[in-house]
Amino acid sequence: MHSTHRRRLILFIVVGAVLFYFSSRVGILRLYQGSTVSMYVIAIGSIILLTGYSGQISLGNGAFMAIGAYVAVLSQLYLDLPFFLTFFVAVLGAALAGLVLGIAAARLTGPYLAGATLALAVALPSIANLFPVLGGEQGLGYDSGNAPSLFGEVARFKWLFWISSLAALITCLLLQNILKSRYGRAWKSIRSNSVAAELTGINAAKSKVLAFVLSAGIAGLAGAVLTMSLGTVSPSAFPLSLSFALITGAVIAGISSLLPGSLVGAVVLVGMSQLVGALTTRFEIGDVLAQNLKELIVSALLILAVVFTPNGPGEKIREMRDHRKHHSHGGHR
Amino acid sequence: MEKLISASLIGLSQGAIFALMALALVLVFRSTRVVNFAQAGQAMVSTYIGWEVVTRTENYWIALPAAALAGALLAAIIETFLMRPLAKRASHGAIAPVASIIASLGVLGVLHSGAAMIWTTEQKLFESPVSVNGIEIGSTVYPFSQADMLIISTVVIVMLTFAFFFQRTSLGLSLRAAAFQPEISRLAGVRVDRVRTIGWALSGAAGAVVGVLVTPGNYLSPFSLDILLVYGFVAAVIGGLESPQGAALGGLILGMSLSFTSIYVSSGLTFIVPFIVLLLILLVKPKGIFGGGSSRNA
Repeated sequence: MHSTHRRRLILFIVVGAVLFYFSSRVGILRLYQGSTVSMYVIAIGSIILLTGYSGQISLGNGAFMAIGAYVAVLSQLYLDLPFFLTFFVAVLGAALAGLVLGIAAARLTGPYLAGATLALAVALPSIANLFPVLGGEQGLGYDSGNAPSLFGEVARFKWLFWISSLAALITCLLLQNILKSRYGRAWKSIRSNSVAAELTGINAAKSKVLAFVLSAGIAGLAGAVLTMSLGTVSPSAFPLSLSFALITGAVIAGISSLLPGSLVGAVVLVGMSQLVGALTTRFEIGDVLAQNLKELIVSALLILAVVFTPNGPGEKIREMRDHRKHHSHGGHR
Repeated sequence: MEKLISASLIGLSQGAIFALMALALVLVFRSTRVVNFAQAGQAMVSTYIGWEVVTRTENYWIALPAAALAGALLAAIIETFLMRPLAKRASHGAIAPVASIIASLGVLGVLHSGAAMIWTTEQKLFESPVSVNGIEIGSTVYPFSQADMLIISTVVIVMLTFAFFFQRTSLGLSLRAAAFQPEISRLAGVRVDRVRTIGWALSGAAGAVVGVLVTPGNYLSPFSLDILLVYGFVAAVIGGLESPQGAALGGLILGMSLSFTSIYVSSGLTFIVPFIVLLLILLVKPKGIFGGGSSRNA
């Protein structure tokens, strides 16, 4: 067990070093896209933990992102917390909100939970307009600081990419360890049969709340990362479509595949804009079509994914391999 | 006193709309266990078809059934070609409990973007057949119009028709049977698949009626009905997701809470009230007012 932990750690350090190396060799656009991909990896990870493992659905993880984002900004504004600490506070704040909702949610199943979280996703951004301290539609500014002087002069986008990819790496490492631990196994067993899981001594209600809290906290981190790359926080950054996009990203490569699933989902979400842009110029598509092409493709992809590879391409490939093996055995007989 | 009357009347009109949207969601959930988030998109596309009819014929009373028919057809297509195969394919693994919700989100996206491509995102004006101005009694103008009366009466008629259909016709009975015990109904000779498609079609028609009722006086855009999905869903969940009576009650509770808070407290609370009402009710009854246990015979 210890050796797999160490192996994972080493792998993540290597990936981090590679990203660090490339960050000096690509342009501003790629760095910005890299930050966005990292943000999505974290946010999609929160869905994979919640839905792919504990079997609960949340249409409101965008709301937890908003909580994380506002907590980060407010803690910087009023508590003068240093930049790095605001991220931790963001995670704690969102996790706390997740605890409150999670205790209520533990009693709710499937569609009822979807309803509660959907209502939350709609309700939350409008709170910003109720309290002047939250800055209304205009939002509040966020100072993402500068790189420590030891790195010399670092361009803004490079610095943002460092932070967000580091946050994504740490999140993936921790999540991977949690999902492979006894907690991950407990969630999976509750998901497939909660009565049987309870009989083996798992407290289903507690486990579900734990999953909800962790998922909310991770979403909060994604919210802080998003705010950092935008430089401000405002309600319009957290529309309902964000929560839906996260689910799309989580489903495309298999709802229970953290890696590479969340990365594939994030790259698809970010890359689609560029792909559609390229298609538009190549084929001279009209404005009206072009503006809606991205959503059409992403939604169609979501439908196709859930119909043809419901549990991800990984499972599909395994299934086909098993099928072939089975067939060749039959042929010998 | 004026405030009280105004709040009640607005609440009634809003509640009727939420109730019908909730009923549309309940019809689908009862028959196929699908929470259909595409409902808003289906209603929106049907309303655009109603708008096309109204701009050509200038007759609202042709547009309303035309939209309902389009809504029924669209829903039947979605059920037959997407939801039914999906139920068979995604029946195991981590995705199983959420596959249909996710697919319906995909359909919603396709309908949004498809409608925006056909009709653009420019807002369309949908003329009301009756006055949308407040009714004047004595010297006070109440924020309640003939259009609101049209909404309430149409919703009541539709609801009563559904109630009659489910209680008094053999097709309605087989729909209830197929929702309650699909396997046993199949043995009893109910063609469950076909009955499910009919359930979807009825739901699509109800959603279309919502769109055509609520749009006059407002504008129509590919996203204009989305918020009704949220309210309708909250109302359905309050009622218990499986019971048509629950949908009506849930819609009324939500409509009243919204109009009373916006008149007596602040209109800034519009989006927060549904969440608070929903949470309060689910804390007491986690499966809604009419949901869970014995009430599945509804």
